[in-house]
Amino acid sequence: MSGRRSLGGRQQSLLSRYLLIIVAALLFIPVGIPLTFAGYNLFNLQTAEKPPEEYKLYSNITALEEQWHQEALSLSGQTPDAIDRRLEELSGSYPLAAMFWVDGGGQTRQIHTPEDPQLQGQLGMDRIPAQWSAPEAIAFMKDAARQEPLAIVAFIGDRADAGEGFLVMQIPEKITEAYRFQSLSSWYILVLLIFFALFVAVSWLFFTGIRRRLLRLQTAMSFTGGAGIPEPIAPGKADEIGRLEEAFNHMVAELTVSRRREAEEEGLRKRLVADLSHDLRTPLTVIRSHLHVLGKEGLSRRGQESILLMDERIESLSGLIDNLLSYNLLSSGRVTLNPERKDVLRILRESAAAWYPLWEKDGFEVDISLEGEPLYWIIDESWFRRILDNLFQNIVRHARSGKYVGVRTVTREAGRAVVISDRGQGMDSTPEAAGAGLGLSIVDLLLNRMELARKTVSSQQGTSIEITQPQANNLNKI
Amino acid sequence: MGITLLYVEDDREIGSAVSADLRERKYAVRWQQSGEGAVEAAAGCQLAILDVMLPGLDGFTVGQRLKRAYPEMPVLMLSARTSIDDKLQGLEFADDYLTKPFHPDELAARIEVLLRRTGAAEPAPLVLKHLVVYEGNNVIQEAATGREILLTGKQFQIFTYMLRHLGQILTKEQIYEAVWGEAYIEGDKTLMVHIRYLREKLELDPAAPEIIETVRGIGYRVRA
Repeated sequence: MSGRRSLGGRQQSLLSRYLLIIVAALLFIPVGIPLTFAGYNLFNLQTAEKPPEEYKLYSNITALEEQWHQEALSLSGQTPDAIDRRLEELSGSYPLAAMFWVDGGGQTRQIHTPEDPQLQGQLGMDRIPAQWSAPEAIAFMKDAARQEPLAIVAFIGDRADAGEGFLVMQIPEKITEAYRFQSLSSWYILVLLIFFALFVAVSWLFFTGIRRRLLRLQTAMSFTGGAGIPEPIAPGKADEIGRLEEAFNHMVAELTVSRRREAEEEGLRKRLVADLSHDLRTPLTVIRSHLHVLGKEGLSRRGQESILLMDERIESLSGLIDNLLSYNLLSSGRVTLNPERKDVLRILRESAAAWYPLWEKDGFEVDISLEGEPLYWIIDESWFRRILDNLFQNIVRHARSGKYVGVRTVTREAGRAVVISDRGQGMDSTPEAAGAGLGLSIVDLLLNRMELARKTVSSQQGTSIEITQPQANNLNKI
Repeated sequence: MGITLLYVEDDREIGSAVSADLRERKYAVRWQQSGEGAVEAAAGCQLAILDVMLPGLDGFTVGQRLKRAYPEMPVLMLSARTSIDDKLQGLEFADDYLTKPFHPDELAARIEVLLRRTGAAEPAPLVLKHLVVYEGNNVIQEAATGREILLTGKQFQIFTYMLRHLGQILTKEQIYEAVWGEAYIEGDKTLMVHIRYLREKLELDPAAPEIIETVRGIGYRVRA
């Protein structure tokens, strides 16, 4: 198929089409111009009036000249009367031409003129002097050279130094004109101009055609459909641009397939995680409800305490399962985030509101200071809540001893930052901090996906976690 | 009390334990082991508790069908799943959501809130410190004197919204958007002014409010 395509492609190639235009334009000079020229003349010959039949005798001037010189040579040494007779004979053969001869003494002898008065007028026989002087001879020859009228002059004996005079034959302009090559008329120039304009128009059409198709392709590429993938475009001609369109469609199709595969994989992994979560949580629920039943039996104080402890452990195990499975989903990259421009302070307040009863119950000092203008970041709201949940959960579980939660904003060089702090024993102190790692790993994965940064300062006096959006500076100015 | 709950749970152990606990709390429980026939069984029930992962018809589908058949009936979803999008999908129609392993007390508390919100619970007056609130009749009285406290439209709307979320801390944005139905603009003092007038009417000492509590940095709360 590819072989056939390349063959067909070559025929329809843009390059070959453009070459065709250029070759046509170039050929127009050496081939087209003579061809049209000939065509024009042929057309003229067909349509223009033909010279009358009796003019044919005078059509070949060269032959006439030769004959005239021959005649002059043969008259060498003849008596003037004999020359007169011969000239009269010749005049009979060429009735439309004027003839005369001048003898050795410069006297004009025997003038024969055509009968047609129009031809006579063109010859200007009245200007011929009776007695030739040198200036008159020169003036005559100058007129003859200009063909006004055409004069064939031959010395008798075909030699100037023979001194026997000369023979003159004059052919009227009307006859010579009839055989003169026709000059180019304005029509022909117009045809040339039309050809030139046609070339320009064809070139222009060729390039606007290419431009239009390229623009169409550009539009198709920059406009994305619902899934964030450009729509395929209707295939056009099978030339280079056509192949580009085809390649583009192919790419779009591949992209669509890979997106679908990705979505399928994401769905599969989510299913797996959901099933796993179900299988782990169901027995925990059973245990928890039985603990509840057990708690209602008359147990000793120690018994009640140990039931409470088990209940707490079940709760934290549930959190651990949640984190473990979330981490699995997040680290595999199989989670789609939907980042939007959101007010982070509002989410912080709402999240703190949800945690407040728990802090209150445990006797925490809650210091929330989130006043001022909204702080807009590009985040996925539900996953951002998850970050906060994990951080707050870590405080409740691992920094309980500090009895303090602080949530506030600070102004940094890159913009405002959110700070969540506690007064626990710090992250490095072993017994309290154990288990905080997974929650923080999830926080880091999520922060990374939302292009947020975490800076943690931890000491024996407490931990403070600062979250910034490095590129957020301009978001809040909108 | 005559409140009947529909409970759909496929796991026998959880189902029998939860049913027993709820019966102890004086609810009549209709426990179904699958989603088939749940809509029919819901007739006469005041609330539905659905497990998300059910054999055959899943909890979301059953919940949506129940909501279509009984739009007024609150639906509480129980799930052993984790992923966040499931929560969103479930909450589109569900009124509340609880993740396994839940504590039986928490389930009972959620049920109570939902029943109160929809008015399905007994119209027992709500006692808040020195006040008695008859939610069904929109009447607020001073317990000691029986004097009725009259609120303006907006004050009443704010107070009922907070009563509906009893014990929950509500942010300024949440209250403003629920009552005025438009986005809250930071710095707007309207809500604060309304709450000040509301306190002047409700509180014994508006300078030290007991009914509408201020949670510093977050918002307001009405505690039961």
